[in-house]
Amino acid sequence: MADNIVEFRHITKRFPGIVANDDVSLSVKEGEIFAVLGENGAGKSTLVSMLFGMYEPDEGEIYVRGKLERINSPRYAGSLGIGMVHQHFRLVSNYTVAENIVLGLEPVRKIFGVIPFVDMKKANHDIAELSERYGLKVNPTDVIENLNVATRQRVEILKMLYREADILIFDEPTAVLTPQEIASFIDIVRGLREQGKTIILITHKLNEIKSVADRCAIMNRGKLVDVLDVKTSSTDDMARMMVGHDISFTTERKPARFGDVVLDVKNLTVKNAAGLDAVKNVSFKIHAGEVFAVAGVSGNGQNELADSIAGLVKVSGGTVTLSGHDITNATVREHITEGVAYIPEDRHNVGLVLDFTLRDNFPLRQYYTPKFSHKGVISESEFETYGEKLEEAYDIRSGQGGATITREMSGGNQQKAIIARELDMKTPLIIFMQPTRGLDAGAVMNIHRHIVDERDRGAAVLLISLDLDEILDCADTIGVIYGGSLNKISPASEITTDEIGLYMMGVKTA
Amino acid sequence: MLEMIIIDGLSFSLPLFIMAIGGIYSEKSGITNLALEGFQGFGAFTGAFATVYLYGIFGAESQVPYYAGFVCAVIGGGIFALLHALLCVKFKADQVISGVVMNILAMALTSFLTKRINESFFGNNANKFMLSASARITVPGLCDIPIIGAAFRDIYPFEIMILVVAIVMWYVMYRTVYGMRLRACGDNPHSADAAGINVYAVRTVAVLVSGCLSGIAGMSFAYSVSANFSPDIYLGYGYLSIAALIFGNWSILPALFACLMFGFARSMGAAAIHQLGLPSSYNDLVRTLPYVLTLLLLVFFGRSNRSPRALGQIYDKGQR
Amino acid sequence: MRKFTQSLIAIIISLIFGALILWLMGKDPVSAYMDLLRGSGLMEKVKYSGRQNMFTDFMSFIDAMTPMIFASLAVALALKGGFFNIGVSGQMLFAGFCAHMAAMILPSKIAVVIVGFIAGALIGALIGWLKYRFNVNEVVSSIMLNSILMYLITFYINTFYINPVSRQSKSIISGARLTLSGFRWEGLKVDIAIAFPLAVVTALFLHWFIERTTYGYEIKASGLSPNAAYYAGMNVNRTALMTMTLSGALAGLAGVSYFCGYLAAIQPGVVPSMGFDAIAVSLLGGNNPVGCVLASFLITVISKGSVYMSSRQNIDMEIASLVTAFILTFAACSSFLGRRRK
Repeated sequence: MADNIVEFRHITKRFPGIVANDDVSLSVKEGEIFAVLGENGAGKSTLVSMLFGMYEPDEGEIYVRGKLERINSPRYAGSLGIGMVHQHFRLVSNYTVAENIVLGLEPVRKIFGVIPFVDMKKANHDIAELSERYGLKVNPTDVIENLNVATRQRVEILKMLYREADILIFDEPTAVLTPQEIASFIDIVRGLREQGKTIILITHKLNEIKSVADRCAIMNRGKLVDVLDVKTSSTDDMARMMVGHDISFTTERKPARFGDVVLDVKNLTVKNAAGLDAVKNVSFKIHAGEVFAVAGVSGNGQNELADSIAGLVKVSGGTVTLSGHDITNATVREHITEGVAYIPEDRHNVGLVLDFTLRDNFPLRQYYTPKFSHKGVISESEFETYGEKLEEAYDIRSGQGGATITREMSGGNQQKAIIARELDMKTPLIIFMQPTRGLDAGAVMNIHRHIVDERDRGAAVLLISLDLDEILDCADTIGVIYGGSLNKISPASEITTDEIGLYMMGVKTA
Repeated sequence: MLEMIIIDGLSFSLPLFIMAIGGIYSEKSGITNLALEGFQGFGAFTGAFATVYLYGIFGAESQVPYYAGFVCAVIGGGIFALLHALLCVKFKADQVISGVVMNILAMALTSFLTKRINESFFGNNANKFMLSASARITVPGLCDIPIIGAAFRDIYPFEIMILVVAIVMWYVMYRTVYGMRLRACGDNPHSADAAGINVYAVRTVAVLVSGCLSGIAGMSFAYSVSANFSPDIYLGYGYLSIAALIFGNWSILPALFACLMFGFARSMGAAAIHQLGLPSSYNDLVRTLPYVLTLLLLVFFGRSNRSPRALGQIYDKGQR
Repeated sequence: MRKFTQSLIAIIISLIFGALILWLMGKDPVSAYMDLLRGSGLMEKVKYSGRQNMFTDFMSFIDAMTPMIFASLAVALALKGGFFNIGVSGQMLFAGFCAHMAAMILPSKIAVVIVGFIAGALIGALIGWLKYRFNVNEVVSSIMLNSILMYLITFYINTFYINPVSRQSKSIISGARLTLSGFRWEGLKVDIAIAFPLAVVTALFLHWFIERTTYGYEIKASGLSPNAAYYAGMNVNRTALMTMTLSGALAGLAGVSYFCGYLAAIQPGVVPSMGFDAIAVSLLGGNNPVGCVLASFLITVISKGSVYMSSRQNIDMEIASLVTAFILTFAACSSFLGRRRK
């Protein structure tokens, strides 16, 4: 029987406002593939980051190879033979594969025994050998920026192996890979296990776990739900445990009364920044008085879907019609005047000008209208009274009222400011993109209240969220997005949580 | 005629080149360096002061003041550059503003100090340090080769010095551990940090190097252009070397090509204007050439001309 | 308010630094600093030569300060829009030169102002256009343009427009000059900077323009967060072009008030250092138009007053530029001081 190579004992980690890990105890055996499964925000990344020395636990102990360790930096973790591949790769783009791998630990030789130089010949040779030994196909002399994501990932893995790590952590390794690349990644992970490495895999994709992991810890809201033997558990069970049934709060709501179709999306196709189709042939309708929620795991085209309907990115195929007007590829401003309110995901870089005062942020999308300016001259008093009105109506709290620099406000109040600004335009369509990410329970409830109130006012609401509870709490209709396609559209009352989970994971397709 | 073109071209190109290498060191590590102008001026100031001071000890004929002057120029340029590093790395000031301010400070400081020093050390009130003319070296044998022989005739000793230093700097940049880490810091400081590299230290040293090399350049210009140090040293050569390093795509060998091109365009233009009997003011037309070429290069080949990716970004370890 | 405190700290530290140097040189710092004020016409001198008094000194001081106000406004506006206009020098030179040329055809002060405005705007627009059309960094293109313009203008002046005695360009015809030099008034000879009221009005206007108009709102939003500005439905590229054009125009006004006002001629072969000083002056003024006027005032007191100080105290005039350089260096660090406090 294999020994426990890593043991977490009663780990608790708190961040302001949330308990990321609540008394988690689990152990990883030497030479196994151990998966940590959970939704976004379930606390799985936090837990594993502590093993890599990026955070230290508030309570509890971590044992590595039976010895109590205080891992206070990634460097120390490295010395314990722990390596990690982050979701965002850390590679020097204009360096070759070999240069990237040896950086910081370069093989040095000396000309005439005096003048030192980096022995790239040896480095290239070593890397070629390393790549052969582990079956990780790379060409040591290729330059990183010419390589695809999967190859870059192999470089990151080789970086760990070059440093002789034997506990390998992967944070959402397949989030950026194509299905074929995922298949070969799974082979690589199996190969590493055969070489005696211990692998810890953070993921929310069930299929991968089923196909590769030996055991799997399931986390929900910071707590460990269970550790399962993957062979004897079904994906349905895992999905159910991962999503959990304990909905902690619900928003009171009247039955929906649908009106006319407000938003009509037909065969929408949108390319992402890399030029690939991120949204594929998506069609749906939203009526007045309807909350249409899009569920899905992150990175399945949600950003592009929201941005394209709000007019921020160009559509490459299909049409978007709002109340009978074709708004496909209209400018951002035309979208605003036609009546599309948009609460974007990135409230720091997109939703707000952070260094503006709160008062200046409110009219951000309407400043040019006669209400706020006359012949190009801003009405200071209108800015002021409008700000006061919104602060009051939406209970936005800040140090110095309207004069507060937005950057200095709490995340919850920043989000309230964006929501206040967008909702006050009383538009026929409102897009909420991840509206409650990173907010505490009180703020979440408040925002859900607004979503339902807007629906009752007669607005069409498009809610895109990674949080299934949020979707169940607010939606009248649920669409599930996977790989850029809407796999399933169903009235909320006619679909179960388990079913949604299966569509989200791509286990079931329509 | 041809001979003069080669001799003048080289004696102008090489100081420009060593300064451009300094700029490449700084910018490849991720620190924008508009302060080369100030570095070379301050280096020339310390070098010229040391030289003039040593004339009093060794006599103007001795070679000691000449070489000691260059050593002091390296030290002076380096120390002054540390201020830029302090502002950019430690105080996280905006690198463009810091560069501009360094130039203003260098000019003010050297003008002030030159006068003070002349008064306290040499008992005069001049605003310049007069240098005796630099010796010139002619390599026997090689100088008799037709045409290119001129490259071996009437060489300033600093030209040889610059070539030697340039080769060393090339080697350090592209073959050693430090160079490899430096270039990584300018592309992705986070990955360098993840590999256990102290980004702040690497960048500070890179700016220091740029100051040292600019010091050599400044001292060389002090000899070749005017045989003295005065505020006239601030003629924009620092900006010209920035043009050269951009033209050379932040790489040392292409930058050498750019410097040679700039230098020979200048000396050839001067010769042609002289030949045609035009007034010397026509030289100024020729002098726009490097800048026009660099601008055109950026406009038409901007895609292949790429600055280091992290250039000018303030690196804060805490931010991920 | 925080910016104001930062600038104040930078000024105070630098003045202490300067005082220390003066003290080390065996001078009395207080009386030296008072001489700066006297030299700028802000305090009574002991004696005056004929047709001069404190008022004439003050008017000369105003004359010297006028171009600096425009130049720092040019930098401040560009920075509001997220640009470094390091090309103010080149824009000044080009505007001054064009105005000189125009004045030969149409000797009028208004023509000089208009031509300067347009000439500066053209260069600013070129930089803005290169930025958004070809993605050429504005700092790099500005540096290149500074040198190109300087050499071209130097060539033209040396070849066709030289005053052989002064080795400078010919002087602008006095009817077109923006400074009434040696104007007789009440038995005094006064230099009157006609552009000064324009500078103050421009600063106030710019303050209003940035803070109270939709254009200013767009400039600020695009400068602080281009993504948010785009999300707000603004045309970020057009705003960038407009910002650089206006910044260039202001630099053009600095150029004409300098080369066709404070000075009557252009010195060939140099880029006016004022364009670089202005970056730091704007920084010192917190990139606020009114702050720019105050910072220009301070810097001009030091540079203009230093002539009198150096003759009275028998110290080098260079001490003035040194104190200025200290102020600018500390101002450059001040963002650090500000961040620290948070």
